[in-house]
Amino acid sequence: MLFNILGVTCGYGASPVLQDASVQIHTQDFVGVVGPNGSGKSTLLRTISRVLKPLHGKVLLDEEDIYDIPASRLAQKMAVIPQEQGLNFPFTVRDVVMMGRIPHLKRFAKEGVQDLEAVAKAMDLTDTDLLANRQVNELSGGEKQRVLLARALAQEPKILLLDEPTAYLDLNYQIEIMELLARLRRDYGLTIVMVLHDINLASRYCDYLVVVKQGSIHAIGAPHQVITTNMIKEVYGCDVRVECPNSIERPYIVFNSEEIIAVRKGRERWVHVVGGGGAGVLLFRNLLKSGWKVSTGVVNVGDSDWQEACRLGVSITEAPPFCSVGVDEVRRNKEMMQKADFIIMTGIPFGTGNLGNLECVLELAEKGNPVIVVDNIDIGDRDYTGGKATELYGSLLKRGVHIVKSEWEAIHLMEGDEEKWHPEVSWFL
Amino acid sequence: MIHKSNVKQSVLFTILIIILLASFVLGVSIGAVSIPPSEVVRIFFSHIPGIDRYLSAGLVPEHETIILTMRFPRVVIAALVGAGLALAGATFQGLFRNPMADPYVIGVSSGAALGAVCSILVQSIWDIPIRFGIPAFAFVFAVVTIFLVYSLARVGGKVPVMTLLLSGIAVNSLLSALVSFCMFFSGNQLHQVVFWLLGGFSGRGWDYVYIFLPYGVVGSTVIFIYARELNAMLLGEEPAQHLGIEVERVKRRLLIAAALLTGACVSVSGLIGFVGLVIPHIVRMLFGPDHRTLLPAVALIGAAFLLVADVLARVVIAPGELPVGIVTALVGGPFFIYLLRRQKNSMF
Repeated sequence: MLFNILGVTCGYGASPVLQDASVQIHTQDFVGVVGPNGSGKSTLLRTISRVLKPLHGKVLLDEEDIYDIPASRLAQKMAVIPQEQGLNFPFTVRDVVMMGRIPHLKRFAKEGVQDLEAVAKAMDLTDTDLLANRQVNELSGGEKQRVLLARALAQEPKILLLDEPTAYLDLNYQIEIMELLARLRRDYGLTIVMVLHDINLASRYCDYLVVVKQGSIHAIGAPHQVITTNMIKEVYGCDVRVECPNSIERPYIVFNSEEIIAVRKGRERWVHVVGGGGAGVLLFRNLLKSGWKVSTGVVNVGDSDWQEACRLGVSITEAPPFCSVGVDEVRRNKEMMQKADFIIMTGIPFGTGNLGNLECVLELAEKGNPVIVVDNIDIGDRDYTGGKATELYGSLLKRGVHIVKSEWEAIHLMEGDEEKWHPEVSWFL
Repeated sequence: MIHKSNVKQSVLFTILIIILLASFVLGVSIGAVSIPPSEVVRIFFSHIPGIDRYLSAGLVPEHETIILTMRFPRVVIAALVGAGLALAGATFQGLFRNPMADPYVIGVSSGAALGAVCSILVQSIWDIPIRFGIPAFAFVFAVVTIFLVYSLARVGGKVPVMTLLLSGIAVNSLLSALVSFCMFFSGNQLHQVVFWLLGGFSGRGWDYVYIFLPYGVVGSTVIFIYARELNAMLLGEEPAQHLGIEVERVKRRLLIAAALLTGACVSVSGLIGFVGLVIPHIVRMLFGPDHRTLLPAVALIGAAFLLVADVLARVVIAPGELPVGIVTALVGGPFFIYLLRRQKNSMF
């Protein structure tokens, strides 16, 4: 075991920010510390890095209390990249990276070959060699971050502690720096402990996560154990969905916008959307947002409308992929449609596979169910049934359905005076 | 900004040493009795055993006396004080990571001033001449001030830079008020007090050099030893600690060293402003922020600057003499403004 953090209580002045935290970190671990702002993540890091002395408990590094280790020996083992960059003085990049050799130098000793080599290697790994003669105060945030990493690597440490290393970086460099850290861990056996805000980044790269909540450790475990909808709800107090695309190992979270919450509040107004091939996506989102209960069908499994409907929790009558809509599905779909307050027929192309949907809508329109037809594309251009669809569509329009030119119009219509609206009256907006 | 190519640097340092030597000779040769520089050099070398007999022929004995007992010590002390103030200023600026810091920032100067004023008053009221009363009192008061400010700034075993600055300012204004209070009641000693406060080197003999030297040597040695740590601390105290530096210990030693150095400077010369603030800036523009080159350069330029200022102080209203503090501000101010305008980006 490398780090043994034993019941550490730590804080500023007398009031503890972190209470009774215990964590074990092993050699070559890649550990992410996550948690909301002010939860004590950085305090934990500052305790490990011997900036803050614990009020209780202790931190052992290789079985030795870090407060018994002289600062320079500690700096040979452990490098820290703080949140504050502090590179405001016109040192050259090389000067700053060279400072990483301070713990290895005797007083008055000049930097030797070994030191120059370590610096060259650190600059090579971090791609800072091109910046060598630039002044650090003139660099961009991302460049500064790489210089700080280079300085830390020049220390030739066994452990790297980082506080929000990606905070100043754009997407490209975030990935790059995380990849570099992963490589350093693999190739040089570095142990990495970092505070991260981005849970997805943490999940992607860390072996395990330490979740800190209100000054105590809420959970420790592998990403797939720790990152759950409940955890996020408990720790951050917000609703997200956790998705695991390929395996159980690297989950990621997706932020819900108000749409899901609206469904939960759910006014019981029900609209059924006949879509497919992405025609329903806009309707799903916006109807849910306005508090409608939404159903759709019949759609094929894997269709883009099907995917979005699954994602948003829309009820679906589904057919197997790439198959014609069968009798059974049409029946189930019709039952669903009958319960709906509105049926929206989107401007989808018709083939033999989904002609059943059109027939079904026509049938219900004849029975007097309220139907809105989004007539945004001429039926002739989306009829792949040799005229059959055009014929059915024509009779549908004659059944006193409401015809609109876009999905938005349909929504406005439904949101507007639904009481006054009668299916017998056709409004042309 | 000139960067560390080693050749460039050694050239610059050679130039600086030549400038210092030249201003040294100039300082000795100019005065009420003008002595040509060549004679100054000859008198100097005639005191080196082995070559003395080749040079001593034709020297004017009176000149020799003037130079050795009056001009020489004065010039030496001016150079030492210049170097000391500039070094202390560079140290404080580095420690505080603040370009406004100068040797007087934590109140050492007003402590020393109060000491000097007390000494003058005590001597005049009770009419007891105290040998080296002014420097002794000034130094003791300066040291007491350092420890007062330091202990005021201590928070839980650490001395945060911010509290140090603030307690320095508080103590500074308190002591300045006391100085003014004493001046108000100093009667016909007022002229002497004011003259001392403005700073100068008139009548300073070898004794003053000896008073200064121990503190000057100790203080500047400690500062030179911690040049590398000062570099790292420019990046912030936490990063410095992560680089294996015992920040609090280094900070404490540097503070005491710089404050002792300041105290020694002030007690032998009065309050000479500007050197400690401006010289480090000028040198930083020339050499960059690396204290390993900055500190020696600061010492050399500070010494040369104060030497020249002292010469001017003696020359402008000859046979009278201006307090050198006025000259440093008058000369240094405009020069500094010129540099500021020329280099508009960050000073630090």
